[in-house]
Amino acid sequence: MIVYDKNLLNNLALVEEANALEAAGFISKEQKVLIKKELPAFKRQSNILVRLGFFLLGAFLYLSICGVIALIGLTGSNSESTFFSICCYLFAIIGFAGAEFLGHQKYYEHGLDDAFILGALLNTGFAIAITTEGYELNIAVFVAMASFLMYRRYLHLLSLLVFCIAASAVVFYGMFEFGSIGEMLIPFAAMLLSALFYFFTKRIINNLKENYYYKGLLFANSYCLVLFYLSCNYLVVRELSVELLGSEILPGNDIPFAYFFYAFTFIVPVLYLVQALKTKDRIMLWASFLAIGFSIYTVRYYHSVLPIEVALTLGGLVLFAIAYFSIRKLKDNETGLTFKPDRINNSNAILNAEALIVASAFGMKPEAKVPDSPMNYGGGGFSGGGSEGTF
Amino acid sequence: MIGTFIDINMNKFDDQATKALLERNLITGNQYEEITSYRNLNIFSLNAELKLFLYLSVLLFTSGIGVLIYNNIDSIGHIAILSLLLIVIVVSFYFCFKKSKGFQKQETTFEHPVLEYLVLAANILTCVFIGYLQFQYEAFGTHYGLATLIPTVVSFFCAYYFDNKSVLTIAITGLAAYIGLSVTPQDLLHNVSFYYDRSLSYSAVMLGVLLILWTIYSSRIQLKTHFKIIYLTFALHIISIAAISNLINNYYGIWVVFAFILTASTFYFYKVSYETKAISLYVFMIVYAYIGLNIFLFRLCDTLDFSSIWELFILILPVYFIGSIVLFIKLIKTFNKEIAA
Repeated sequence: MIVYDKNLLNNLALVEEANALEAAGFISKEQKVLIKKELPAFKRQSNILVRLGFFLLGAFLYLSICGVIALIGLTGSNSESTFFSICCYLFAIIGFAGAEFLGHQKYYEHGLDDAFILGALLNTGFAIAITTEGYELNIAVFVAMASFLMYRRYLHLLSLLVFCIAASAVVFYGMFEFGSIGEMLIPFAAMLLSALFYFFTKRIINNLKENYYYKGLLFANSYCLVLFYLSCNYLVVRELSVELLGSEILPGNDIPFAYFFYAFTFIVPVLYLVQALKTKDRIMLWASFLAIGFSIYTVRYYHSVLPIEVALTLGGLVLFAIAYFSIRKLKDNETGLTFKPDRINNSNAILNAEALIVASAFGMKPEAKVPDSPMNYGGGGFSGGGSEGTF
Repeated sequence: MIGTFIDINMNKFDDQATKALLERNLITGNQYEEITSYRNLNIFSLNAELKLFLYLSVLLFTSGIGVLIYNNIDSIGHIAILSLLLIVIVVSFYFCFKKSKGFQKQETTFEHPVLEYLVLAANILTCVFIGYLQFQYEAFGTHYGLATLIPTVVSFFCAYYFDNKSVLTIAITGLAAYIGLSVTPQDLLHNVSFYYDRSLSYSAVMLGVLLILWTIYSSRIQLKTHFKIIYLTFALHIISIAAISNLINNYYGIWVVFAFILTASTFYFYKVSYETKAISLYVFMIVYAYIGLNIFLFRLCDTLDFSSIWELFILILPVYFIGSIVLFIKLIKTFNKEIAA
């Protein structure tokens, strides 16, 4: 099923390991260069900026080819409407063909292949939407099938993301078919299914032999983790039922099972946190951080507990205290849970964005520009008020 | 993106890969022993996470204080808040100065990681405080520039004395604000400044050149050479965006001047990105040059008026993009080879 040579995939794992070991200082730079030279490799861009650049270029190329087809189709055929009804299928075929071609040319995680694979999936969705006149369930089913195919053939992680979202959409719209009872059960169905698939993928990972499926499975596993939390989060349930089911919530009333959803919103993040620290699972740890943040947002969305500025100030102080005391406690641990940076698996990439965030949130602006807004007067900190939406 | 995030999770395949490297004689037995014994320590480091928390706490706290003061202007409680703010600033700086090793030309770090964030907090709060003084009491008279210049000077001092990159970015945005530019990342993306005022574009280019000259001077005297990349990043984006927005906007032949400026900056940053081995500079240099080139080609076609054969353009476009892709692949390849050596 996989288009790539298995040896190359194994080599990739070795080279990545060599990179990690070199960064950790276990092997020398010369040794790493030697290892890279020794092992034949994919055409791959490991730098995210470069990959993004090639993605854009690939997208331009894809669009220009579609433009040529549209030009030929519109001038060549007699009726425009027949062309419009099939054009997305043609565009999708170009995407599939391009992806296959690049796969054979050993392009993997390069950016160009991303453009063609994602373009193919997007056009598949449009094509089905045009044919079925926007019937959501059908679109979701076909996109899910196509994206799963793309993942199996090109081991493309973004396709897997599309698959996960499409599969969730299948469940969501599938429940619509069962009428009002189905609609009411959507959160519970999503919760049960994500739990089921979480343990299912976990089991496959534990018995897995081929390393190149690992990333994809881990990704699906993490997706289930996030979906599980979101499925029964109070804010999500309430807003979706208003938005999609058109149910109105009168003042003084609440959605059915509100207590369950509130309890869920608070218990699950804590559960994640405890479990993550116990099993040393970094992804679950990050999921728990995000979930805690979102739970706080959920509460503040419906109940204005404190004015925003007091909440921000106090939140900052509390967070500072948590971090400070954790650091003090973990500072000198040599094994297990520690504050010492891990030589091999470090997540320093996240910290590199720090300066950028500071510049966005607190960068000073010229004062005379907007005379009617005192927020911009000199003090950079004032413009921090504008950034409160991001928290 | 997803890939890099997943990489940080430990997995059993890492061990296997190390073993495979050993079996192929790519690493020595000693190295393998060392690696496995380190892995067996089972380290689960919260270093990045806790630092991020410190960081977020500073952002939350300073934003909160900023809004608090702004909302309470002219009320009774606000003198109290201001005095509290002043106390917090003084205490923070006191700790920072006490624990710092003093000014050093090379890269330095605090012994305790919290202090780095304390510097940031103190610095932002100082900016809030000065901005407030100016707004309420006009402490610096009608010399509005002073109200920006003083926080900038304070920030530069903190950045160099305590060796703090985040503070340095604030300082640079302050410097730009002093000459009337907003160079926060989001404003640069929307490049709002340059539409209104052409003289601003010249100032922007001057500022970029100034930043570049400063990096040259500081590498000569070996002053905080690790700051170089930040200055260069700002310079590249400021100059390029100013040049590109003028390529689009001007119809009186001035765009030719900016085309030359863009060419010169592309040439300089091509050289300097090889020197510093910084791929981020290299990539953005290429992107800006490519955008500029396309605008230039578009203008050329616009003047020559090919509108009768526009179909031909659509047919040529794929070939044009394939050509660009081949060129870029070559550029990136040579760069990667150069910095690996």
